[in-house]
Amino acid sequence: MQRHDVVVVGAGLAGQRAALAAIEAGRDVAIVTKLHPLRSHSGAAQGGINAAVGKEDSVDTHIYDTVKGSDYLGDQDAIEFFCREAGPTVVEMEHFGTIFSRADDGSLARRPFGGAGFPRTIYAADRTGLALLQALYERLGTESFTIYEEWDLTSLVVHDGRVQGIVAFDRRHGDFAAIAAKAVVLATGPAGRIYGRTTNAHSCTGDGLAAAYRAGAALKDMEFVQFHPTALLESSILITEGARGEGGILKNANGERFMSRYAPHVLDLASRDVVSRAIWTEVQEGRGFPGRYVHLELMHLGREKIETRLQEICDFTRAFAGVDPVTQPIPVMPAQHYMMGGISTDLHGEATIPGLFAAGEAACVSIHGANRLGGNSLLETLVFGKQAGLAAAAYAETAATASVTPEDLEGETAHVRAMAARKDGEEPQALRSEMQATMDRYVGIYRSPGDLEEALRRLRALQRRYENVRISETSRVYNLHLTDALETGHMLDLAEVIVVGALARTESRGAHTRLDYPKRDDVNWMRHTIARPGPEGPTLSYAPVAYTRWEPKERVY
Amino acid sequence: MAAARVKVPIEVYRFDPTHDAKPHYDRFELDLAPHTPILTALLQIRADRDPTLTMRYSCRSAICGSCAMVVNSKSRLVCQTPVGPEVEKHGKIVIEPMRSLPVLRDLVVEMSPFWGHYRKLEPHLITDPRHPMPADRETPMTPVEVERFKETPRCIACGACYSACPAVEADASFPGPMALAKLYRFVVDPRDSARQDRLVRIQTEGLWLCLRCHLCTEACPKDVQPSQRIRDLKEMAIAAQGATENGSRHALGFKENLRDRGILNELKLVRQTMSPLAMLGQIPQGLKVARKKPETMRKPPKIQELEQIETLYRELDDAPGEKAR
Repeated sequence: MQRHDVVVVGAGLAGQRAALAAIEAGRDVAIVTKLHPLRSHSGAAQGGINAAVGKEDSVDTHIYDTVKGSDYLGDQDAIEFFCREAGPTVVEMEHFGTIFSRADDGSLARRPFGGAGFPRTIYAADRTGLALLQALYERLGTESFTIYEEWDLTSLVVHDGRVQGIVAFDRRHGDFAAIAAKAVVLATGPAGRIYGRTTNAHSCTGDGLAAAYRAGAALKDMEFVQFHPTALLESSILITEGARGEGGILKNANGERFMSRYAPHVLDLASRDVVSRAIWTEVQEGRGFPGRYVHLELMHLGREKIETRLQEICDFTRAFAGVDPVTQPIPVMPAQHYMMGGISTDLHGEATIPGLFAAGEAACVSIHGANRLGGNSLLETLVFGKQAGLAAAAYAETAATASVTPEDLEGETAHVRAMAARKDGEEPQALRSEMQATMDRYVGIYRSPGDLEEALRRLRALQRRYENVRISETSRVYNLHLTDALETGHMLDLAEVIVVGALARTESRGAHTRLDYPKRDDVNWMRHTIARPGPEGPTLSYAPVAYTRWEPKERVY
Repeated sequence: MAAARVKVPIEVYRFDPTHDAKPHYDRFELDLAPHTPILTALLQIRADRDPTLTMRYSCRSAICGSCAMVVNSKSRLVCQTPVGPEVEKHGKIVIEPMRSLPVLRDLVVEMSPFWGHYRKLEPHLITDPRHPMPADRETPMTPVEVERFKETPRCIACGACYSACPAVEADASFPGPMALAKLYRFVVDPRDSARQDRLVRIQTEGLWLCLRCHLCTEACPKDVQPSQRIRDLKEMAIAAQGATENGSRHALGFKENLRDRGILNELKLVRQTMSPLAMLGQIPQGLKVARKKPETMRKPPKIQELEQIETLYRELDDAPGEKAR
């Protein structure tokens, strides 16, 4: 039986930052991760990290932009804390060794980003996530801790109302193991693979979210799903907002710069929900290209700028779309990109079960509210990763010894043995594909009650079929079929929570757009959705939005 | 955007240590658009044909570094390699696990030798406590200083270079291209204070085992150009410490030796490379060579066009930037 003070699940930026904070606080820390830390999806973040460090900019403007971007669903106290931490966080990452792009005077270079009043997004070409991930991993590498690599989280162990450890599957050796921990930090990232059309990596299956939910922790605001305006047409590979930050423009099939109709002031650099809806509308109304897409044009920026500041984008579009952005427009459509919702936490990363903490995209503090601004997610991983690590360390310092029992382990293995013993049954991959098709078709940018009800009906049918899922693979070494089955089960639970929340919220706010309720409704709906597991699926309750200084106003860009 | 489909024969290396005594290849045939990434083809096999096909993959956009494999004998990221050109060139696609790393199952390899070399180079900023970084603000760094990193920050640690490297295959103590490119990244970092130590240390820890074949640069999916950075490290190491190792003495000796006569004087090259004591150990080998190829034991005549060689050397010595390092 393994035992640690603090177990961090997930080794992206949030998980690593949490681990570093807990180690520095003197705790014995272990990281459990299904990928080598440098393979984490944090590394795929392209555009940058926001910090109001410029002379003309101010922390207050960053706070205001984030509150407005959230469509007034973000908690203003958390957003204030978050934006104040931005400068020190970026400086710390620079001191850890991050190689940022620089201005001529030697300071950190900044680029404009959507929904921001000033050029506030600090970047490392168009691979900012990778640059931060490398530096943090290298800094963390100087500390001593345990890592369980290529382990899948399967469940949390809760005894006496407190989280006391985890159960996980060791892919390499084919064993389940229980790890006792006084505090558990979930930093497992998003569940973007609920959708077929997503910019997310294959590994983004919401394992931590599902484990927390099943253990009875509250999930918050799960119906708010961000669609990134510019994903490559077929593969849905992300084309950074930085491409528009550097001057890229969107055009429809008539050659019109259509954003002038939707966001007359800031055009292509409106908030992501606004731009995604605009593209969707253009295509729906017949102004898209055949095959349903629009163009992102960079050609006018010139080869030099494209190839240096958008180097990865150049490679991506050349390799994955056969398009050279120096001479040709890039075919793009919106795709699922980010989950504003997550495991409900306070601004110290504390979830709703004692001993449980969460950070990064898996968590919902909430600072993004109904719509996240570009450049705020990398910042979130680091700011709240650190907070969660500190809080978990403090909790573990005084917590009683944690215990996990053989029964905790037996519960998981019995479940898997049953899946493996079935001669006939459902293939996990088939269930996953149907779930993805359902979410793509019925739970997209624009939502209608009919579509959402149909999605719910289909998802529940898939959940019933999942009870009969089978693992046909018998090997004990890297049994990915077992991983597929576990992940698919996680995502089916989370997809249901998204749809139930979306059906209940009879308003349009940020990324949640209801065709039958096109307006924001602050009287009834300026509140967070809280979902917990019930006997008949998720049960919803609502919590107030923390409010300090910023009155809700209509959002115009 | 609909493209014609082509028949894609794929042969995949299979080995499961729990069932198989030895590896075999499974053959699949798919109908795919030519620009389909090989990863997509493999995932299609997993979904529709054989869920036991085992490999690492995650981002599918050449940024996580999970899916390096050997494709028709070349180390590549399968997410970034389309099927069409491979089939056109080779008639089929043969997928094998990366080389020089033990196979755990199918296309999944043990990466710990690769990571071990990386960790051994102390891949983190080492700062001088006497010159702390500015408190509360970033360390100033000009765009010109950022350019000195060249393409090394793009490295995604996929291991394709390690798999492609014949020096790694021949000698497991060679750190490999990725680790050395990473070392370069720290050596040129103006914030790092261990430059001299790093350069001195690497002279005896494998720098000179690089064969300069450039296969790493060819394999790198992110254009990091490890072989060019290894060359830079060699120059910087000699500048920092002098030619203290057989490898560095051999490099300098080679240069001088060729300048003399325009053709290698191999006997002299041995003297230029090795210490007298080490040469004693080479006597048996020398006698063997003398018997088989006596011409190598004689001083070769100067070539006729030696003037041209001298001009070349002058131009290279005067080339800007090279000596500045």
